[in-house]
Amino acid sequence: MQVLCRMHSPLQLDAELQLDGFTALLGTSGSGKTSLLKAIAGLLPSAGQPWNGLPPQRRPVGYLPQGYALFPHLMAWQNVAFGLNGPRRERRHRAVQRLQWLGLAALAERYPRQLSGGQQQRVALARAMAREPELLLLDEPTSALDAVTRDELLTELIDLIRAAGVPALTATHDPHAAALADSVALLHDGRIIQQGTPAEVFTQPVSFAAARLAGIRNLYTAQVLMRDEWEVTLSCGGLQFKAKAPVWLGTQLQVGVAIRAEAVALAGDPPTNSFDAAVVAVRSEGLQHRVTLEAGGTRIEALLSASAAMPCVGDVLNWTVSPAHVHLLSVDDAVIDRDAARLVRPPAISATYVAAHS
Amino acid sequence: MNSRRAIAALGLLATALLALPFAGLLWSTPWLTLHYADGDIKALWVSIGYTLIALLIVVALGTPLAWWLARHRFRGKWAVDALVLLPLLSPPLAMGLLLAISYGPYGWVGHPLRAAGLMLTNTPSAFVLAQVYASAPYYIISARAAFEGVPRELEQIGLSLGRSPWQVFWRVTAPLSALGLSAGIALAWVRALGEFGVVLIVAYFPQGIPVKLWVNLQNVGLDAVYPLLWTFFAIALPLPLVLGLASRRQTVY
Repeated sequence: MQVLCRMHSPLQLDAELQLDGFTALLGTSGSGKTSLLKAIAGLLPSAGQPWNGLPPQRRPVGYLPQGYALFPHLMAWQNVAFGLNGPRRERRHRAVQRLQWLGLAALAERYPRQLSGGQQQRVALARAMAREPELLLLDEPTSALDAVTRDELLTELIDLIRAAGVPALTATHDPHAAALADSVALLHDGRIIQQGTPAEVFTQPVSFAAARLAGIRNLYTAQVLMRDEWEVTLSCGGLQFKAKAPVWLGTQLQVGVAIRAEAVALAGDPPTNSFDAAVVAVRSEGLQHRVTLEAGGTRIEALLSASAAMPCVGDVLNWTVSPAHVHLLSVDDAVIDRDAARLVRPPAISATYVAAHS
Repeated sequence: MNSRRAIAALGLLATALLALPFAGLLWSTPWLTLHYADGDIKALWVSIGYTLIALLIVVALGTPLAWWLARHRFRGKWAVDALVLLPLLSPPLAMGLLLAISYGPYGWVGHPLRAAGLMLTNTPSAFVLAQVYASAPYYIISARAAFEGVPRELEQIGLSLGRSPWQVFWRVTAPLSALGLSAGIALAWVRALGEFGVVLIVAYFPQGIPVKLWVNLQNVGLDAVYPLLWTFFAIALPLPLVLGLASRRQTVY
């Protein structure tokens, strides 16, 4: 399903989306994700395709807002039956069937305040699905849940929606959540700047803005020193990297470079793209250590598995990045310079720096 | 602990102050010789019947206005706000005079209306008119606050579930604002029933309880006030009490 949406207020949006399966709309908070969903649902004035100009009650769209917005004065089954027509008995029967499908039949007589966050979410999903919509819109479906249940419920939600066979668009600011989707669309400056499978979007962002949304923090502008058919050598803030030569690379002397922190590793054998860098800060993130490195005035972030020994602040170690993971960006220079000026700044060193140091 | 006691003592003092005149009434009522004066029963039915009509008009006209004020932003909204407040802050006597000027037999609205057969001085219609002006602001202000308390998002969800704005109002907005709407209705009922100043100017007849109390005082004396006053409390109190209890039972969510 192709969705177009253009609006001018409360903010400027001009978005084009291809919605099949489960699509994640990834954007920073305040980038207009909620407004875009509401506009598609007809709750904010906009022009677009399909359903141009139709009022919300005539759009075949199921909308789950943040916090689910269940009707507090209605029981679970009455919430689900809200959009159904027909005699009360039949509406009730169909609503309970919907709840059964989500394993909630026993809770049909409960009021929303008597349900847990995950149960509320499923009731809201049952309510949105009851009218058999052609498109499901979900606004940060896991934001009201605690971190432990979040991933579990999101996976469950995605499975349920896939099983129902309805295309869904889910707004999120969390790249990890987006990675679970069939497709990821990046919203930036009121436009969809990239859409593709999570693998494509997260490893081959089209611009710095896209890379930042994909959670990549190592972003640089680099000079092309040498190139052949397969490989380019780059000078990047005093460091030299080899990267696979992308097909589009012409005679540019300057390119953008994006390296995922996960791709930076302690050098093994043979050391390709190896460099010496000092450990500036180490932060433990559960199963991973987030390590901030500095080499020749350039800061690099690395994610190491927690099973490896935790490096100490001040250590100078030999590191490496596989050329396959040095992603080059061909963005026009202005975009590179503008974004680079903002982005290539050392990551904030927090209190953990002191802790690791002492 | 001391401050809690101090607050309790202050609360008790306030209650005692509020109760004082009514305790006096209980004390000074001549219970053994209590009897209605001529026309008291008629005043009772006038008050109940016409106040219910006035209440219906207030709810029918005030609800859409309150909803509009709660849900829409427009230029000059402050002027509408001020217009709602004006009858509330006008001294009742002045409000009565203003109604007489416009709706009276020679008024710019009253004159053509009289030609059309609607007389708005000393008629049941005039009585209801005065009560509507006296009580509508109380209802509109309460209802507006009640509508503002209903999350917009729930109404939007109602629309996105295929319901018309009208259905959404009845199935979402009205039940969720029931508490505030009941409070507004109770307040309007009490105000309309007890209104004296406005009614006195435009509708000396038919006489409802407040005007009849004054007439009894003038013609007979204080003893003729007591029975009618007790009757007034008996008919004024139940509606606010019942609405208050019923809606408070609903506030569990």
